Amino acid sequence: MSGAESVGERVVREIVEDLIQDWGLDLEEPIGRETLLVADLDFASVDVIQLCVAVEEHYERKMGFQDLLMHDGSYVEDLALGEMIEFISKKLEDGSV
Amino acid sequence: MSTRTLLIGMDGATFTILDEFTRSAEGEAPVMPYLAKMLANGVKSKLLSTPNPLTPPAWVSLMTGRSPGHHGVYDFIRAEERGDDVFFTLYDARDCRTETIWSIASRQDRRIAALNFPFTAPPAKDIDGVMVPGFIPWRHLRRNTRPKGFYDRLKALPGFEAKELAWDFDQEKQALDELSDGDREAWVSYHLPREMQWFRIAEFVLREDAPDLLAVMFDGVDKIQHQAWQFIDPSLEPAEPSEYFVRMRKLCLEYFRQLDGFIEQLVEAAPEDVQVFLASDHGFTATTEVMRINTFLESKGYLSWKEMPDTEAARRREDSMFANLDWADTSAYCRTPSSNGITIRVRGDDGSGGIDPADYEAFRAKLVADLEDWTDPETGERYISEIHRREDVFPGSAMNDAPDLLLVLRDHGFVSIKNKQPAVEPREDAAGTHHPDGVLIGWGKGIRQGVELGRRRIEDVAAILLHSLGLSVPEDFEGRVPEEMFDLAYLEAHPIVEGPATRKVGDDTAGAAMGEDEKDKLMAQLQMLGYME
Repeated sequence: MSGAESVGERVVREIVEDLIQDWGLDLEEPIGRETLLVADLDFASVDVIQLCVAVEEHYERKMGFQDLLMHDGSYVEDLALGEMIEFISKKLEDGSV
Repeated sequence: MSTRTLLIGMDGATFTILDEFTRSAEGEAPVMPYLAKMLANGVKSKLLSTPNPLTPPAWVSLMTGRSPGHHGVYDFIRAEERGDDVFFTLYDARDCRTETIWSIASRQDRRIAALNFPFTAPPAKDIDGVMVPGFIPWRHLRRNTRPKGFYDRLKALPGFEAKELAWDFDQEKQALDELSDGDREAWVSYHLPREMQWFRIAEFVLREDAPDLLAVMFDGVDKIQHQAWQFIDPSLEPAEPSEYFVRMRKLCLEYFRQLDGFIEQLVEAAPEDVQVFLASDHGFTATTEVMRINTFLESKGYLSWKEMPDTEAARRREDSMFANLDWADTSAYCRTPSSNGITIRVRGDDGSGGIDPADYEAFRAKLVADLEDWTDPETGERYISEIHRREDVFPGSAMNDAPDLLLVLRDHGFVSIKNKQPAVEPREDAAGTHHPDGVLIGWGKGIRQGVELGRRRIEDVAAILLHSLGLSVPEDFEGRVPEEMFDLAYLEAHPIVEGPATRKVGDDTAGAAMGEDEKDKLMAQLQMLGYME
């Protein structure tokens, strides 16, 4: 992680940390923008969705995460937390959902 | 505060088995002696399940007092047609369009605890009490458990093991197929410690929190009966049982003996004036044949199978729990085995897929006639004993989400949607399947003793529970409190009162108000789960 943490980064990081706290993961690096959900945090598809729901619950609004998770009709194989944070920030900024 | 009402759910429990297990045979103690005592000192009745006697619609009806045409939960899997594509997603608590008893009681100052009930996740925000949802993977129990911090109390319980307690997708999926002898034995064994986990939580909540309503559901009854019915149903016992049969029966009896112990300990731990209700979402019986409904529909020209490559991914898709068809060439099909329904594809505004809306009635009438003509060549008996139009069995504001036709097979089995021949095939061994008649047992203060009532309907349980909590029964409930369940003195002191209607489910639910983005998200969930290509 580099530079100061934005509010959006902190929110997502805290949600992820809350989500995985019982999973027994042995993390080599602290959770940050570069963290990959599948490769680093052992997320299965259902876990990605649960994370999306948790974020939506926090912001009390729908985010339209399918735009983040789908590219050209296929689902992404992994996702960096930074990508998710940017996606959320954009949605919050332009109120597009 | 003290617990005044105890609900013990037993998924799939039937008097076919419970009567046998509560009977003393030739000097031997019954398998379920405590339940026998409750039956002798309480009230029992058959409990009519929802038109499709299936866990999702039935438990939701029990929890809402409303039928599926109103609450809108029909199956585990929900489908949405978009042009010439059909997307599949999972139902969850947000899909329920009517208020639950958990919310109704909470907003009237009754504390509740609901443990292991399906479709209680994500939990509603207006719950006053404890909610630990069923049918949720262990990794997500904490986030879906209420109140906040309660999960940590569970973790401190001796022997608590989330992985043992929670829904295991891999185990469940495996058990949908016919199991080997060893796997079947392991499947039954798997549920003994699992149910113990739920019992410990229930006992803990009862002792520490004493909610007005404690409700716990044991779903191992259903799971075991599906795979081990032949070892449980006394009418299927062979004249010369094999060593394996004897071992399996003993294991199954051990499960029911343990369940009886749970019931005893919970009832004995509750206050003396508690009212106890035991209920199941449906009953059980034996299925003896496999009915490949989409194979039949294909033979009549209603659908075409999707061409699939010879790959591992394609085989997984073929084995999945929802139909894999050439949608552009499909006019009627069955979506999932558990639906036991047929959906007619009607052309949308964009001109894609299905029949012309003007042809619907004639098309459906021909489809019904074809299904009626599908008969056993040896006996002339119809394979499908009942064919219901959705307006007849699912009236209500959510009717349009129901299948167009609901089928009842002659052996009460669930259809297969696999692309296999022949369309009808006898099973090697009888298997367990759902029957419409579940169970309802009442025991405790003010409840009559040793009485058998006429068959009640599953929506009644919600009304009974609210009445037991000293609350009125909402006027829009379809369920009713059976007066004959209670003695006269109790009824005089506790009259059954009809009260204001239920409240509209909030905007945070995914029911009628579900937005496009939410639908997309849920579809994404299924695709990522591997349910979709």
